[in-house]
Amino acid sequence: MIELQGLTKRYGETSVVDDISLTVEQGEFCVLIGPSGCGKSTTLKMINRLIAHSEGKILVGGEDITTLPPERLRRRIGYAIQSIGLFPHWRVADNIATVPKLLKWPSSRIAERVDELLALFQLDDEGLHDKYPHQLSGGQAQRVGVARALAADPDVLLMDEPFGAVDPLTRDTLQAELARVHRQTGKTIVFVTHDMDEALRLASRVALLNAGQLVQYDRPAELLVAPANDFVRDFIGRADLGLKLLSRRRVEEYCRPAQRTRNNAIASAPTTWQVDANDRPMALLGGRLGESETARTVVNPEWTATPEMSMKEALSRMVWFRVTALPVLDGEGRLLGEVTMSGVMGHRS
Amino acid sequence: MSASHNPTRDTASARLVANRVLVTLLCAGLLAAWLLPFATMSPNRLASGQTVGLSEALSAWQAIALLALSAVLAVAALRRPLPRELAHGVVLLASLGLLLITLYSLGDYAQRTLVEKSPSARVSQGSAFWVMAFCCALAAIDAFQRASSGWLLRLGYMLIAGGSVAMLFASGHFDDLSIMREYANIRDNFSDQFITHLVLVGSALGPALLIGVPLGLLAHRHVRLQGTLFSVLNFFQTIPSIALFALLVAPLSALGNAFPLLGEWGIKGIGAAPAIIALVMYALLPVVRNTYAGLKGVPPATVEAARGMGMTARQVLWRVEIPLALPVMLSGLRIVTVQAIGLTVVAALIGAGGLGAFIFQGLGQYAIDLVLLGAIPTIVLAVIADFTLQMLVVLSKPAGTRR
Repeated sequence: MIELQGLTKRYGETSVVDDISLTVEQGEFCVLIGPSGCGKSTTLKMINRLIAHSEGKILVGGEDITTLPPERLRRRIGYAIQSIGLFPHWRVADNIATVPKLLKWPSSRIAERVDELLALFQLDDEGLHDKYPHQLSGGQAQRVGVARALAADPDVLLMDEPFGAVDPLTRDTLQAELARVHRQTGKTIVFVTHDMDEALRLASRVALLNAGQLVQYDRPAELLVAPANDFVRDFIGRADLGLKLLSRRRVEEYCRPAQRTRNNAIASAPTTWQVDANDRPMALLGGRLGESETARTVVNPEWTATPEMSMKEALSRMVWFRVTALPVLDGEGRLLGEVTMSGVMGHRS
Repeated sequence: MSASHNPTRDTASARLVANRVLVTLLCAGLLAAWLLPFATMSPNRLASGQTVGLSEALSAWQAIALLALSAVLAVAALRRPLPRELAHGVVLLASLGLLLITLYSLGDYAQRTLVEKSPSARVSQGSAFWVMAFCCALAAIDAFQRASSGWLLRLGYMLIAGGSVAMLFASGHFDDLSIMREYANIRDNFSDQFITHLVLVGSALGPALLIGVPLGLLAHRHVRLQGTLFSVLNFFQTIPSIALFALLVAPLSALGNAFPLLGEWGIKGIGAAPAIIALVMYALLPVVRNTYAGLKGVPPATVEAARGMGMTARQVLWRVEIPLALPVMLSGLRIVTVQAIGLTVVAALIGAGGLGAFIFQGLGQYAIDLVLLGAIPTIVLAVIADFTLQMLVVLSKPAGTRR
């Protein structure tokens, strides 16, 4: 657990961070976000005392951080930055072992822990153990950076735009992996980014900062549906606010029972699914945009949905294939229910 | 070089010749061999003698070997038939062979000629010999620049080349040459001065590193100090070496006279003390500048990560900053070492001794052999120091990035 109480940082007369108070609960994934110069990085670096705060208090695990020598504090807190932060003269294994070595763990325990982390980040089967950072791809280097931060099993992990320097595809994979690692380890994470999509995807709580002040600290969904003011609305992006909201929603939340039939008979419902003996949808009767209500459209694997899919993607498929409904399938391809255009419109939380 | 990729230079000669430098060197060497004297015969140590051409000096097999190796080099310079990498290897071997043949022939000629001459008669090397030896060395250096050889290969080649030349000397093959007779006369003094030279260089480098590295660290940590520090060190560097040596004589002799105890320790106007002080002053700028540049070159993110992981300031310095700055710092040491070996020659003028003593003595007597006895070992020392430190620079780079 991390508590910031009236945290302020001044350089001369100007306050870069101005009276910020917030609490990050145990196991929370807190994302600090805001425009450039809003003080998000400074706030993060004050938590492990890379920058000294001017006023206020920071408690990590209930302890005031100024009561500890900075080095001891930092060895208890994981810290990850962009990939260039790896030590170029050390092999991957040595890089990961940095903090355990500082803590003087026995070497057998260090070796064990390194293998464990390589496995956790799926780096173990690539023969990376003895490679040097310049031999790694951007994505691999970033994974090593996060693995290094987790090496001494800290309760708290600080990450300063860790995925800022990798290509969008790799970033997507890394985000998914970080989300998985967070679920598996239950660490408390404070993560700085300027990318709203990244924040919405990863965060359990978002702290939006502007000009050194905390504007809103809320769950991502709350931020979207109940923005505190115009700045928040503008920062999230007014234009695609609705789509951002849908990207946080999963198909199962919108799924409702589907009307099914074994033959061609048109039912009274606007959409009816023709299914085979195994309950697999064969065709949609009605529901095709721009055609008569009696149209029969054969179901194509591309325009189906799964319960885990984001509603943004489901909506995108409906628009692309010009249908008003998608069948929702379980793992065996059986019809669970449907999501419809009108369902998307009617749902509000 | 890149002539084949450049359409405007794709002339007939460029299509034929791959290595123009080698062709030029070969022409220069052959021209010198044809036009210039290979050796000189003189009745005694100081008299000027008559010149001897290459055709006269070489025995039949030596001439054939010389021509054959030159032909091999000429083929290696062509675009066909040898593939490029193989051609570089051939050039390295042939130029070493050519150098050894040239050296051997000179010694052999001296042995053959002096048998029936008076004991005071002397054979010295002529200008063609120098040009040929120089061209061989340049051809080998050029081949290394072109080849993608690793540091291990370079080390091996240098050891073999140095070893075979040293063996020729050790076998007594050159003992009849004028310069080696001169050496025989001053043998004991030579080793003394050689050691003095090394001691002077060593005692300048030690303090220069002890003072320079911390100053470089300081300049890196305190930005405000840089301006003053670098202008003072720059000022030292601009003083001509003879002037600095001379300037130090007066205050040091005053100091030595005022405190006789200091004088007993060697702090006096002439001798080693002013020489070492001046050498240290010259060495400081490269040491400080390279230490500073090396530390500045360490990525700030790497240092931030090291601090963020919980390293203390000392651990950041020794585990991250120094190892990453080491190649640049060693490059500074390389500059300073080569510079100090050269400057120590001048220190002989204020009575510090060293190989410079022979040079100035020889100049005074117009005894060229004596001058060479001071100059050649100095050059060899500088080359060895340069090469060794270059190897250290390569080895100090993070593994996997070495070349």
